[in-house]
Amino acid sequence: MTLRSVNLPGVGTKYEFETDKGDTVAIFFTKTGTIQMYTLQQGCRTPSAAEMTPMEARRLGNILTGAIIEAESESVEIAFSALADLRITIHTYLIQKAIAGKTIEDLQIRTKTGVTVIAVSRKDTNIINPPPSFVFETGDAVVVIGETDQLKRFEREVMVD
Amino acid sequence: MEGIVLALFVCLVLAIITKYLSIPPIPFYIIGGVLLGKSGFALVTSDEISRFFSQMGLIFLLFFMGLELKLERIASNRSAVLTSGVIDLNVNMLIGFVAAYMFGFSIIESLVIASAFYISSTAMAITSLIENRKLMMREAETVIWLMVFEDLVLIIFLAVISAGGQNPLIFLLKIAGVLAILYAIAHYGKEFLISLLDRSDELPILFTFGAVLTTASVSMYLGVPETMMVIALGAALATTDPDAFEQHARPFKDVFLVVFFVFFGITINLAGGVNMVMILSISLLAVVSKFISGLLTGIFIHESALAGIEIWGNTIGRGEFSIALAALYGSPIIATIIAAMVIVTSLVGAFTGKYCTGLRKWMAMPGRRAPHHPHTGR
Repeated sequence: MTLRSVNLPGVGTKYEFETDKGDTVAIFFTKTGTIQMYTLQQGCRTPSAAEMTPMEARRLGNILTGAIIEAESESVEIAFSALADLRITIHTYLIQKAIAGKTIEDLQIRTKTGVTVIAVSRKDTNIINPPPSFVFETGDAVVVIGETDQLKRFEREVMVD
Repeated sequence: MEGIVLALFVCLVLAIITKYLSIPPIPFYIIGGVLLGKSGFALVTSDEISRFFSQMGLIFLLFFMGLELKLERIASNRSAVLTSGVIDLNVNMLIGFVAAYMFGFSIIESLVIASAFYISSTAMAITSLIENRKLMMREAETVIWLMVFEDLVLIIFLAVISAGGQNPLIFLLKIAGVLAILYAIAHYGKEFLISLLDRSDELPILFTFGAVLTTASVSMYLGVPETMMVIALGAALATTDPDAFEQHARPFKDVFLVVFFVFFGITINLAGGVNMVMILSISLLAVVSKFISGLLTGIFIHESALAGIEIWGNTIGRGEFSIALAALYGSPIIATIIAAMVIVTSLVGAFTGKYCTGLRKWMAMPGRRAPHHPHTGR
């Protein structure tokens, strides 16, 4: 698979690659702000296209990296290939009734699982870096950061009970 | 002043309708102008203010063209740009020139008509490629580079035609001087310019507007063509942060250019007796001649005449640059011819942009002609 990127004057940037099986995928970031994705099956002559907003394109990107588990909890994995392939995952979870009313300290999230809660989204407000005394409510969306193993532990030991 | 308000209001309505139907708005601005102006209901006449606004529209159009002009990119794609560009230039210039000359225009007039006849609308071609989801086609890239080549020809044309009558040596020296200053500012002031553009107050937009206006008026004062100098300013500033400049110049371009189009229509005078046969034949010829150049480009670049249909379908529309040439160098009769050509070709172009892929498939159907082999050369 070789990725080819071209800057097309007046249009935007084009990324194109051919899969091992011979299909072609092309992505265009147009100047109008939309993103167009074309796929061309091997042997076919006309590609099919989908036009996306940047938001939709990011969503698709998350799905393709295999990170999305369910619609409302999703995750992004960041890989720093220069730093001995350091991988950090940021994941969102919805707080269920079982842990509502407890604080981050009560749940001993960091000591038990290793992950850190970096933000909480409650209705329309976002709380960045919540203090240990922060009390969860049902329906809060929490954003946690950690390694894949740590996140699995978090899911097992904190989220499920 | 009420005239401009009325004209802008009409344009706003037209813009909403054309965007909703996804057809190019330029021909409708011109038609709207013709109806408002002395050839129509005589509701609006051009005055000092509208002329200034129109001038701004033209200048910002050219400034934008300069921003898009990245010479190093053209150099790296030279062969692709050249072959298709030269075919397009020769075929269309020749047909346009011969047609205009045979209708009795002088050589200079025929040259102006031929240039407007030759140059497709970059805005329409690219919108057509994006909206009809054709970006992935191999022909799309050819069309895009064709537009870049046409822009370069336009710059050379502007330089040649505006040099007429001056001492060529002094003229060249003046141009070289202004160019050197512009590039020096962009080069040595790069950090300063980028930090200026990063601000979120009124400074970036004020600077962009001021730079364009200052360049235009200084070049008028020095006697060098302001059209060329604003293109050069765009190209020089493109070496700093072109996206930021595009973002800050876009509102000016969008508004003033609409004023430019509608007042171009308003100043068209149909009372002087117009030869309908001539206007129609030049307009139709404009469609046919792009068909010929498209087919040749298809054969030479993609080894398929059918690919030429795709190129033709997306490059028929003449637009902003043809009108600009008419406004700069055209007599009233030439302006009318070019306006009609823009209206006809852009409407035909909007249609072919949508349906030429279907036409191409129909042409390639077995039984209609020898079966066309699916492109094997990937």
